[in-house]
Formats: sequence, structure tokens, C-alpha cells
Amino acid sequence: MIKLTEINRAEALRYMGGSKVKMNDSMESLIEVCEKEILENISPKYLYKKISLENSGLIVGNSVKKHLKGCDEAFLICATTGAKTDKLIRSASVTDMAKAVVLDAMASAAVEQICNKIDEIIAKETPGKYLTFRFSPGYGDYPLEIQEKFLSILDAPRKIGLCTTDNSLLTPTKSVTAIMGISDFPLEKQRRGCVICNLNKTCKFRKTGEHCEL
Amino acid sequence: MNTVNFNDLLKKDFILLDGGMGTMLQKSGLKLGEIPETLNITRPEVVADVHRSYIDSGAQIIATNTFGANSYKMKNSGYTVDELISAAVKNARTACKEKALVALDIGPVGQLLEPAGSLTFDDAYELFKEEIIAGKDADVIFFETFTDLLELKAGVLAAKENSNKPVVASMTFEENGRTFSGVSVASAAITLEGLGVSALGVNCSLGPDELAPIVKEFTIRTSLPVFVKPNAGLPDPNSNTYNVSPLDFAKSMGKIIDFGSVKLIGGCCGTTPEYISALKKVIDTKKFKKAEAKKDTAVCSATTTVEINQPRIIGERINPTGKKLFKQALLNNDIDYILSQAISQVNAGADILDVNVGLPEIDEKEMMVKVIKSLQSVVDVPLQIDSTKPDVIDAALRIYNGKPIINSVNGEEKSLNSVLPLVKKYGASVIGLTLDENGIPKTAEGRFLIAKRIVERANALGIPSKDVYIDCLTLTVSAEQSACRDTLNALRRVKTELGCKTCLGVSNISFGLPNRPLINHIFLTMALEEGLDLPIINPNDELMTGSVRAYKVLANIDKNSTEFIKTYNEVKTETPKITSSHTTLSDAIINGLKGEASSLTEKALESKDAMEIVNGELIPALDKVGAYFESGKIFLPQLIQSANTAQSCFDVIKAHLTKTDSSPVSKGEIILATVKGDIHDIGKNIVKVLLDNYGYTVIDLGRDVAPEVIIETAVKKNIKLIGLSALMTTTLKSMEETIALAKKTPELQNPDGSSKCIFFVGGAVLTADYAEKIGADYYCKDAKESVDTAKKVFGNK
Repeated sequence: MIKLTEINRAEALRYMGGSKVKMNDSMESLIEVCEKEILENISPKYLYKKISLENSGLIVGNSVKKHLKGCDEAFLICATTGAKTDKLIRSASVTDMAKAVVLDAMASAAVEQICNKIDEIIAKETPGKYLTFRFSPGYGDYPLEIQEKFLSILDAPRKIGLCTTDNSLLTPTKSVTAIMGISDFPLEKQRRGCVICNLNKTCKFRKTGEHCEL
Repeated sequence: MNTVNFNDLLKKDFILLDGGMGTMLQKSGLKLGEIPETLNITRPEVVADVHRSYIDSGAQIIATNTFGANSYKMKNSGYTVDELISAAVKNARTACKEKALVALDIGPVGQLLEPAGSLTFDDAYELFKEEIIAGKDADVIFFETFTDLLELKAGVLAAKENSNKPVVASMTFEENGRTFSGVSVASAAITLEGLGVSALGVNCSLGPDELAPIVKEFTIRTSLPVFVKPNAGLPDPNSNTYNVSPLDFAKSMGKIIDFGSVKLIGGCCGTTPEYISALKKVIDTKKFKKAEAKKDTAVCSATTTVEINQPRIIGERINPTGKKLFKQALLNNDIDYILSQAISQVNAGADILDVNVGLPEIDEKEMMVKVIKSLQSVVDVPLQIDSTKPDVIDAALRIYNGKPIINSVNGEEKSLNSVLPLVKKYGASVIGLTLDENGIPKTAEGRFLIAKRIVERANALGIPSKDVYIDCLTLTVSAEQSACRDTLNALRRVKTELGCKTCLGVSNISFGLPNRPLINHIFLTMALEEGLDLPIINPNDELMTGSVRAYKVLANIDKNSTEFIKTYNEVKTETPKITSSHTTLSDAIINGLKGEASSLTEKALESKDAMEIVNGELIPALDKVGAYFESGKIFLPQLIQSANTAQSCFDVIKAHLTKTDSSPVSKGEIILATVKGDIHDIGKNIVKVLLDNYGYTVIDLGRDVAPEVIIETAVKKNIKLIGLSALMTTTLKSMEETIALAKKTPELQNPDGSSKCIFFVGGAVLTADYAEKIGADYYCKDAKESVDTAKKVFGNK
């Protein structure tokens, strides 16, 4: 069980348009309220499974191939903040759009935090091995469509209620799938960085000289 | 076919079911990624062996290996649903040799239904229907492991409407007593029992010990036999083994059986024939008994059950009658306005919301379905479907997630014949109005007799009296002063002699009198004391809602005044109001001070012309905020807060203009939609708020909107500007299709061949280049640019 006790506010603020912004009182209190609501309403769920990459059908395109170079095995991971988060955001967008935006950013930060905790759990379970960073469908040329396969191998619809739509969008929406290579040897220092990111042409962080820390 | 059928088995003490199928197939060498259902065809003997081993252990019903055999999940299996399911039923039948019955096993589709996902109710229905027809040779239908009550409802309806087999429905719960989608045990039990299943309960989820409280709750919430198939304890995430032995499993199940009402028992993940054998030994020593179930009527949404065992408030505000703004919202398809009405009533204390969207100019059925779906996505309270048209009621009942109230039936033959069968079919509650072909009887006796007739007719169809809520009708006291007493006398008789719950619309009483709130409030209190259960009122009227709260204290219902104290002792934590007398309207908008800004606008209207304020103060202030946002001085929520503050100023101005009879100002109509296939609509919603606040009229078509719907609306409303959003690369193609369709539509072309419609597009993965490529006229990187685009298109009026 993963339980979050706080939301990474710096991360959430970045999603909302920058951490360098000076906030006013009403914004401070809105953020306070939203953090509380998100923490009360998320129910983090996750699954992971070690798989052999050979004949797995999971290596599609160059980006993931490069990422998993030298790995025979990998962990498949999925995580979600649960269905209630979506309802909370939807409800807020009817009554208070500013609040909806803050909730949305906080929920995004939350799912990232859940993933980081899974990283820790996996690292502990894999002593003596080296792990790549989490690589998600949608990075580089790794197709979103592969998510359905991820979820089916993990039995995610039945076990944690995480599904995809016909267009390969995850539902509940605040969810993540990823693959993490396992290697017997130290890996070259990798960073997700902007090169593999599909948003690198439109990214608002890059424009202001910030980084989303992917 | 078997000589014994399912209903015969139900008469026995217990029905022993089988254990895990997946577990056994894995033992027989099912490979990772291999689709278990294909084994029905590729290795039928393996599947039949599993069945046989369960029958040998004593199972009286075995479930086919068809859990995921729907055409969505099987699309890459190489087989059709019909091939897989008929093979599966054959395998089971071969193994049975008439010693056991065959249950067609149906699991969830594997995709989330709207609003959480994009699968529609009708699509889910069709998927289940295909499975049910393919499984026509089974004896009974088991729906198992569902987490969404609405999806399960689609399945149960598909079964009922396409076969005559008994149906068993089971959901999977977490330790907190809810499914992943938030469904409570009470809501599941009440809804499924209403839909006419033969048994219901829980499977999978957890081990028998952890499931015990959930099963207990089921036995309290239903009078039907309860179905229980736990896992063999909790799984170890790595080895995928379970931690409860067959013996311990059976022992724990023995305790569960002792709750009463538990009749159908077996095992789910991790259980094997050994578990079923052990279970058989336990049930052989036990006798079935029925648990004491709750007798009060209740209605529910998927998440919230409201027991009508004390006065409950039905909010009446979702209704166009006499409400100009609401009518306008219906005409403009402004669902958000309706939703905001719902949320404010719930916050004010409504337990149930009445939903009436009848307006001659609109398609009531289409609107009702849309509004119910939308309401279900934002509020938790149960709904009351308010319409006089059977086809509207039917459509609403289908997609309602829970057990609703139908408002209403009356003593007329036509009404009784058309409405009551729907109430029965979908397991709803219904409001019975005490009037008939001859109008409203003057006397209490007359109304009582109609009530009695309605209840008898309901009973004859199998609707219990407790699910009929009688409305003895409030008449205007200024027209007929003695009528109030008649209504209350009838109410008391209905309550005591028919054992029905009662409801009343209250505010009619005071029509034509001064100080109506006072009369309404006293009448409400009188009615409560006579036994009124369901006052239909405006919950935002604090005097009315407060009266109900106070009544509950004085009538010793609200124990220790807990609810009352909670409501009135709670210190409202509002952000401290900055009340500097020097604040200007512009400052108030920039700082997002709503109250301040509205009162400053009111003041300004005393000396200035409305348009002067709009163009001289509101718009420049918004522009200033926009510029701050662009330069990174403030961030998005602040921009929206300012926009909302400006909106409150516009509202003040609009109200002023309506008073002074000037027509309200709209700078132009704009369609907004998140394209087909995409459900990420927060960006679109932000754009909507900003455009609204700049004085544009936004026609918001929502998310997952088909190109045809967008184009049709553009043609019908003669729209010049259309904004589309898409978040993901996979849905950009829908954007392209929408623009292409506009260019192909003759009605949207100018005589010179140019397009009448201008498109602006936005979304995270979109670039200016791509926008140009797909034929969009403007690419907007954020909400602010959308406003700039609107200004360019419509000019700075």
C-alpha cells in the first residue's frame, strides 16, 4: 500500500504555469484546500511485474529499444490515483475552474509521486541489479497503443480498475504505465530529457528555461 | 438439457459453486499473454478437465471459461465471440453429464463506461447481448467481478431482454466496502434486487475473512439469496500464490454462512477443487436460514444510499417552470448551468434531486439522458426522474446508475398502465399523485382512495407498497382555505393506513399571498408533523432546509442533535475579505476578489452606462491580467480567478440590463468541443471560462464529441468560430476529421468557395505547424490566445 501524506507542491505549481510566480493570499489558501481534498480523495493503486523481454512484443520502435539496450528483463509498471480524483476535478470544473486547475495539477503530481515510490519498492526488491528509469508509452516513438498490452499483462482492469479507451487513453485519467529495464551491469547515465519528449516543440517549461524534470 | 433447473436448486439449502478457472488453467500450462478463452477451442479437454474436477468435488453449478469473452477483449484472439462461447458451453456441458448446471460466465468489458471512460452504456449493452445470445445453451447467467454498477446494469438488462434465464450478479469490493468506482454494497444490493436478479453478492476481491463484513452488509441490504466467491486469501505479488488453505477457507466460509441468506458459495482466484471439497464438508453440516434484512425503502446512486426512514429533502430547482435562466440554459444546451444548480442544492442540504427538463422547444428525451449522465458524473445524491412522458422515463431509467424515484404516476388509467410497468422493470420507486381523470378530489377521503388504487395497482405488478411515495397534492390556500387541512388529513391516512411514504411539493400553498416564505415554512412544519417523508422544496432557501433540520431535532430523529450542530456550528472558513475603500474595480478583478468586484460594479452602475463599465473597466482589467499571465507574473489559476471575478461583474451588469430592458450583450457565438475519442477536457473548460468572461457566448458541446455533432450544430446555429481541443496524439486525427468535414459541408461554404467556419485549435501535443497542416485557421497555445483569436475574428466590439 502506498499512502501519500503530502503533495509535491513545487511540482504541482510547475504544472500550473511556473514556480517563479508570486502568489496572492487567495491562491495560497486555494492550494491549501486543494492539497487536502486530493489527499482525502486519492486511493493510490499500482501493479508491477517482472517480465522477460524476449518475444514479449513490447519492444516497438527505436526509442524503447535504445532505452532497454542490454536488458533481458524488465518491470512493467502501472499506477493510478483512482476513479474519485476524476470526479473531484470534473465537479470543480463546473463550480470553480481555478480550483479544478489546481486539483488537476495536484493529481498529476500525486501520480508521479506514487511512481517514485514504486521505483523505491522495486529497487529494494532487485538488489545487485541496475534499473533504467521509467519509460512510458508516448515517449519518443513508443506508441500509446502499447498501453493496452501493458494493462492486459498486469491484469490491471480487474486488479486495480485501470483501463484504456479505444484511443489508448488511460482511465482513470490520472494514471501512468511504464517499463523499467533490468540490467546486470551498470547503465550509462540516462536522463529522460527533452529529446525523447513529444512536447519539446511546445513545452512551456523549456520556454522559460525551466525543466519538467522528466 | 438438465432435469433440474436453477430455480429448483434455489429451493435447496445451499448451492455449491466451483472455484478458480484461471488458477487451474495456469497450472495446466497457460502461457503469459495467452488468452484463456481461446483454450475452449484449442484445448477443449483441458477446460473440460477443470470443470470435471470441480463437479467431482461437489460443485452443483460450474461457470464457463468465458470471463473475458466479449468482442472488445477478444478482438485479437482470432475467434468470434460466438465461436468461443459456444465451444465453452459445450465443454462445460460435456463435463457435466447432467450432474451440474452450466452458468454462462460474463465479466466486465475491460473498458470504463462514461463518464470515467468513453464506452457508452449502449455499446456495453451490445457487447453483453452478443455474449448472452452466444451462450443460449447455458442454464443460468453469472455476471462476476464487476466494479461499475452501471456496466453491470447494462449486462443484467441485456440478459433480461435477450434471454429468459435466471441472472446472478456479483461485484468485487475493496476492504473499505466499495468497488474501484466507488459503488457501495447497499447501492449494489438495492439496485440489483430492483432489476430482478435471482441472487446477488460478491466475488474475487479478498479472502473470506476480509470479505465477511461486506457479505454481512449484503445480507442486511437484500432479501434475495446471497452469492459469495472469495479468493483464497490475499495474493503474494511475486509468486502469485494465495495465503489461505482449503481448510481455513472452508472454516471462514462457515462463519459467513452463519450470517444467514448466504446460499450460493464457491471460490474465486487461487481456489482449486480442494477448496470446494472442503467447502462441501462445511455446508453438509449447516442449514440455510434467512438473515433479517432492512425493511425501509431506500433509493440510491451508485455511491450513496438514502433510506427514507426520516424526512429527506428533494431539491426542486432543476426545473424550467417559471425560471427564465434555466429555460435559456436548456435552449442553449448549457449543461454546466444545470450542473451548478445541482451542486448548489446538494451543498445546501438536498438529499435527492428532482430532474425536470421538459420544454416544448427541445427534445426532452435526448436532454433528459444527457442531463442525467452529466449529473451522475458530478453529484453523488440519488435522482428523481421528473417527466410525464413514458419514453423519456424509460430512457432515463436505462442509464440511471442506481435506484431512482420516478415522478410520477397518477390515478388515471393511461398513467397507471404506462408508468408502473417501467417502475417494475427497472426497480425504481415512484411518486403517486392523488388525482385522476376527474381531477383532484376535494376531500381527504377522495385522495386517499386514489392513493389506495395506485398502491393496489403497483402491488399487482409486484411493486411493494414501500416503493410508492404518495403525494396528496398541495393546493393554494388563498384560493381555498380549507384545502390545506384536506391535504394533511389525506397525508396522515395514507401514511398510517397504506403504510406508504409521502411526499409534497410545498411552495404552492402560499401562491397569491404576501410573505410567502412564512406560509411555506409553517406549512412545511405542519406537514412534517403529520408524517411527511419527502418535502420537495428549494433547498437553497435556508428557512425551509433549516426547518427540516430543526424538526429532526425536535422529533428526536437527529440523535444528540449531531447533524444540526454540525451544520450550524461549522465556522465558515472564508478567505479574509480585504475591504479597503480604495480598491478599484480593476484591482478587485486583478486580485480575484469576487464580492468586492460585484459591489463595485453595482456602485458604478449608479453613475455609469453599462457598456462604459464593460469596455472601460472590465475588459481592460482582464487584458491586464492576461498580459501578466503571458509574461509569467501570475499563473493559470490566478488568471481564471480573475476571469471568474469579471464574470460576477458581468452578471451584475446582465441583471441590470434585464431590469432596464436593454438586451444583454454577446460579442459572438463560439462552439467549443473536445474532439471524438478524447476525454481530457480541462483545457477546453479553461478556454470556455475565459471566453465567457470576455462576453462571448460559448456553446460547449463537451468532450468526446463526434465531428458530425459539431458540424450539425455549426450549421443549425450559424456559427462562425469553432474551437477544438485534443490532448493526445491518438486523438488529433479526430480534429483533422472535424475540420475536413466542415470543408465538405455545403451549408458552411461561402459563395466564393471559402469556408464560413473559422477553426482555432489547441492541446498539449499540438504545434502551429500541425494545426496548419490539418487546416485549422488558428493555433492557440493557451486560453489567453483563444481570447485573442476571438477578438480578431469578431473584432473588438
